[in-house]
Amino acid sequence: MLEIDGLRKRYGDKTALDGVGFAVRPGEMFGFVGANGAGKTTTMRIVMGVLDADSGEVRLDGRPLTYDDRRTFGYMPEERGLYQKMKVAEQIEYFGRLHGLAPAAARSATAALIERLGLAERRDDAVEALSLGNQQRVQLAVALVHEPAVLILDEPFSGLDPLAVDALAEVLKDRAAAGVPVIFSSHQLDLVEQLCDSVGIISAGRMVAYGPVGDLREREGRGVLRVVVRDAAPGWADRLPGALTREGDRDVLLCEEGDDQDILRTAIGAGKVEHFGRRQPTLAEIFREAVA
Amino acid sequence: MNGLWLVAQREIRTRIRTKSYLISLAVSAILVAALAFLPRVLGGDDTYDVGVVGQAPPPAAQLAYSRLPDEAAARKAVVDGDVDAALINGDKVLADGELDQRLGLILESVHRDAQISAAGLTITPLTVESVGADARYQGVRTGIATLIVMVLFFLLIYSSMFVAMGVVEEKGSRIVEILLTSVRPWQLLGGKIVGLGALGLVNLVVVIVAGLAASSATGFTADFPPGMGGIVVSAVVWFVLGYAFFSALAAAFGSLVSRQEELNTVLTPMTMLMMFTYLTAYFAAVEPAGTVARVLSFVPPFSSMVMPVRTAAVDVPLVEILVAGVLMVVAVVAVLLGAARVYRRAVLRTGARVKLGEVVR
Repeated sequence: MLEIDGLRKRYGDKTALDGVGFAVRPGEMFGFVGANGAGKTTTMRIVMGVLDADSGEVRLDGRPLTYDDRRTFGYMPEERGLYQKMKVAEQIEYFGRLHGLAPAAARSATAALIERLGLAERRDDAVEALSLGNQQRVQLAVALVHEPAVLILDEPFSGLDPLAVDALAEVLKDRAAAGVPVIFSSHQLDLVEQLCDSVGIISAGRMVAYGPVGDLREREGRGVLRVVVRDAAPGWADRLPGALTREGDRDVLLCEEGDDQDILRTAIGAGKVEHFGRRQPTLAEIFREAVA
Repeated sequence: MNGLWLVAQREIRTRIRTKSYLISLAVSAILVAALAFLPRVLGGDDTYDVGVVGQAPPPAAQLAYSRLPDEAAARKAVVDGDVDAALINGDKVLADGELDQRLGLILESVHRDAQISAAGLTITPLTVESVGADARYQGVRTGIATLIVMVLFFLLIYSSMFVAMGVVEEKGSRIVEILLTSVRPWQLLGGKIVGLGALGLVNLVVVIVAGLAASSATGFTADFPPGMGGIVVSAVVWFVLGYAFFSALAAAFGSLVSRQEELNTVLTPMTMLMMFTYLTAYFAAVEPAGTVARVLSFVPPFSSMVMPVRTAAVDVPLVEILVAGVLMVVAVVAVLLGAARVYRRAVLRTGARVKLGEVVR
């Protein structure tokens, strides 16, 4: 289990992190979302030891993280960096070796990743000759080559085409299924919603919401009540809370509060009820709500 | 250590494949080889070609005789420049305009010797004894010293520059963020210095081999002073020390900036120091026995170039070399530690130039 506990970081008089904490279990995929400048990158850089926190701690299985632990992590920084003049396969292999793989293991892991990420035709090209999307794939391969014990990826999906997004999502699911805690940040909330077991929302250096996606939905919005009534007389909902809109011959009532049983009785009395239920908020809605 | 070695290997593999390295290797080798030929070309031969008609004069060290059929042929050969002068029947000299003064003296003495021996007399030559230092090889030694200054300076500045550029490349592209999660800063820095240093050393050895080969091809090796092996070894050892010193400085200054464009500015203190070292070494080559040369051959980093120059130009007691060596090693260790500290603190701070004062505290 990777635990991030009470991280604080200040730059001059600007507070970047103000007590950020969450935990990711083995095999859990954790989506880290927040506005630009909210503190995602700073948190990840502290986890990777690229930056020192002013206070707080990162633990792996209860022990403070060491350099040797981090060597087994896979990291994709926000600012991508590769040796532009080095060949694709050579570069991936080099990073595998730096992470401690034996030459043969580095070579076979590189070959497998190149195949999987669709880079086979570019394996002997210099990185600078690749499109940005393909450079991104190489960057991922560099983070994955040593079968990391923990994955920390800062915006891994940005700039990828839909096929590459699918390929990466598959790779991440694989790693999680193998028991690896995976943390990634993204602005693509639908993707986070699809992939992640739990989500942390950070705003201005604080975690404003954090937990399994289902729990967040229930906690954040109990859900807006949506009632659709056909052929109702005008003015039937005047005494009810919520907003009424008319779509053709249907009235749609959205209520955030009020006695749902009373609303239902009124609706049945007014016309033919076609729909009555609570709508689950999307992650995007939860996010907007949480950071507002 | 493994990390350091992997980094060094990458530096070597990447750099050795570039055209610029191979070209600089070839150019430096050719330049030095050409310098070995230079005395032959500029100074011409030490011997004079003398055409001989009729009676042959006795052999002389600086004269190469060639037989000519008659005086007409001799006149033509002199005018065409095929020979420097022609000797007709042992008593007349044909020259193109005025006779070269030295050649004249030699011919005169050959002529005199011939007449004396014809008269049945033998004369004993003068014996010369030097009461000062053995100065026979002074010219050659100064030449070699000057050459060492140039080669060392070129290789030092060029190798250190590559260290700085490599540091900035990694910092600017942020690849250093990933690198430093798998290797320690000292491994990354050390690997870069070792790898590029090995390439510089290869270049130095190639230059030395090219120079020696060209010298032996021109017969210049015969003029080499005794202890040439020691001079070569000293140049190599001092190159390694000087390189360690300057490349560590280059890496430390390089780690302060994120863009290659800023590199020249930030490296100015290092290049100034290097230029100054070069100038003192050049001065030492001209006046190797002077007090300035003697003192600076002990002071790091000047010693890295002044001492090999002094060893080439004059005889330096072994004790002095060892003392200078120890002082330089101490300086190198200090600079390496300082550079590692600056590098560790500055290399992850991308963006605006990091002030040295902020990272040395």
